[in-house]
Amino acid sequence: MKILVLNCGSSSIKYKLYNMEDLSVLAQGGIEKIGLKGSFLKLTLPNDQKVMLEGEILEHRAGIEYIMGVLLSKKYGCIDSLDEIDAIGHRVVHGGEKFNSSVLITDEVIEKVRECIDIAPLHNPPNLKGIDAVKELMPGKPQVAVFDTAFHQTMPDYAYMYGLPYSLYEKYGIRRYGFHGTSHRYVSKRACEFLNVPYESQRIITAHIGNGGSVTAVKNGKSIDTSMGMTPVEGLMMGTRSGDVDPGVITFLMDKEHLGSRGVSLLLNKFSGVLGISGVSSDMRELETAIDQNNERAILALKMYNYRIKKYVGSYTAALGGLDILVFTGGVGENQSSTREYVCKNMEYMGIELDEELNASVRSKEVIISKPTSKVKVVIIPTDEELTIARDTMEILQNKE
Amino acid sequence: MGELIVEPIEPYGLNISSVKKNKPMFSKIGVVGAGKDGRAIINLTASAGMEVVFMEDSQEQIDIVMNKLSKNLDYKIENWGLTQSEKRGIINRIIPTLDYETFKGCDLVIESTRYSESGRRNLLLRKNIFKKLENILEPTAIIATNSSTVIISELATDLEHKERCMSIYFPVVHPDARILELVNGMYTSEEVYSKMEIFAKLIGYIPHKVSESNGNVSLRIFTLMLNEACQILLERVTSFKNIEETFSIIYGQRFGVFRTADIVGIERIVTTMESMFNDFGDPKYKPNPLLWKLYRSQQLGVRTGKGFYIYDENGNVAGENKSLY
Repeated sequence: MKILVLNCGSSSIKYKLYNMEDLSVLAQGGIEKIGLKGSFLKLTLPNDQKVMLEGEILEHRAGIEYIMGVLLSKKYGCIDSLDEIDAIGHRVVHGGEKFNSSVLITDEVIEKVRECIDIAPLHNPPNLKGIDAVKELMPGKPQVAVFDTAFHQTMPDYAYMYGLPYSLYEKYGIRRYGFHGTSHRYVSKRACEFLNVPYESQRIITAHIGNGGSVTAVKNGKSIDTSMGMTPVEGLMMGTRSGDVDPGVITFLMDKEHLGSRGVSLLLNKFSGVLGISGVSSDMRELETAIDQNNERAILALKMYNYRIKKYVGSYTAALGGLDILVFTGGVGENQSSTREYVCKNMEYMGIELDEELNASVRSKEVIISKPTSKVKVVIIPTDEELTIARDTMEILQNKE
Repeated sequence: MGELIVEPIEPYGLNISSVKKNKPMFSKIGVVGAGKDGRAIINLTASAGMEVVFMEDSQEQIDIVMNKLSKNLDYKIENWGLTQSEKRGIINRIIPTLDYETFKGCDLVIESTRYSESGRRNLLLRKNIFKKLENILEPTAIIATNSSTVIISELATDLEHKERCMSIYFPVVHPDARILELVNGMYTSEEVYSKMEIFAKLIGYIPHKVSESNGNVSLRIFTLMLNEACQILLERVTSFKNIEETFSIIYGQRFGVFRTADIVGIERIVTTMESMFNDFGDPKYKPNPLLWKLYRSQQLGVRTGKGFYIYDENGNVAGENKSLY
């Protein structure tokens, strides 16, 4: 069985074609700058050779058509006919309260995803474009939607509600939904397989940290709280996002700086976080260079970034009533040992003992980085959202048959 | 691993898609004249990802314009409206020129020559620009003028493809005033109109279809309110500040009526009102003596540093213009 995974952003499409028999990746790549000048499709061949195909890619449909064309081509392709692809799995960002798991896409599902546009105006429209394009290009081919929010639908109401008038929840669906669900689900489950413990009886905290980031508390295989809210700006401090801020600050700034809603949104999403504090960059590697040069604001930015993660780990341990496994994943979680070290420092009182030497020497692989005596197992699990989407797609397809 | 292989993508198209793979509409557009309105158009279109060619009279003017455009973007960055890298992208898409040839390949060119100090725009000059543009552009390219008065049919008269001409008006009052008035002239074709509707949407504006009529809709409504506000001030019914507050607070406007007039530009208001008066004949369209006073003394608003208010070099209000009444 071959499954194509698509992740359609506002001006990009990422794709991966899986052979589900051995979970190997047959083809992968991405399109960038859709509808803009200088659009291109970049793919990585099985021998790691990178190829860039340049040309006008006006909209998502044309983009997906080119992806199909490349997959079919003699030169860079790996299939002879589109019929070889059994199904398509889509990442869909916001499933609202309507979806708590991945689903086979029907007209009814499309309609519901459309209804979620109100709360995810940036993300859901391109996701839908991708679904529509496949519908047109490969009529009748099964498509599956895997939602970023679905895993967190198990949060109890006292965790997902904001302390705002209840009528606003009823009117607009204002509540916390959480994101990165596919990743949190995958790494929490994978960590249990890796440690050979039952997923259904563990208290796990997963820290998916990169340029964006969120921390999730997983109890007995279910998400019970997560740091992102109705939008991805809540929670941790991120590359360019502020994370938690007193809303009073925002109304104050709106008055002082004459900001409208767009200004506030840009301020919180694009100018804040590591970039806003350091004034250097949102990229952790550039930040580290600045730190090496003793740039004080860069140092502060990293401290704040790390501190917020630690705070969430502490509060979620309380929410979980103790902790069995702490998982690091995402670009920073997998690669930046100093952040992992900071988060785990002086946490012996709650059972975390990090093997600092080992921690400093590993990156991007599945590994236990706590000491054997540590009550809490600290692990790195590289995330694989695409594979999870492919697996969900296969599962739904098989159940359908 | 070898070096990156780069190839054109076209051979990989499958032609399943029903949409033709034309070059994107409005990927390159032109602006003739980069005064305040012209710069606003350049800014908007380049920000929307379009390549924008603009023409000015001299290299010196070009430098001034580029500098002002850059400053405007810096202002946006300072006010959390834009990021540094977005600014670089936008500036890269702006191409200054002294030569009509550069407009070749544009899907749309907007004539936006400046108002002279008298507030008039030279009709012969504008006709000449239209003619020159027609010689350079493809027959399907649209030639538009940025205007709030009835002019487009007249500008189009001498062209071979009159149906491609259209008048548009960008309200410049504040950045969220995102409505584009699209004015069909006598010859404008439906096709051209619908293309311009797409243009409006591409730059994030709501298109409003307007039939050729002096003052369009936005200025016609505003100028009459302003005229009444001037009269109230002259009759000393209440204070300047109270009138401003009535307009902004009771009617929920961003600025007071006089402040708005300064932003729109007194020359534009007076000339539009004159045109309306000539067209419609009703004395209510006659500009109030206060407006004439400002106009004749070249106190034209924010642009000249003085109007109903006095402005500092950054265009911020420094105080009321007490010499006015």
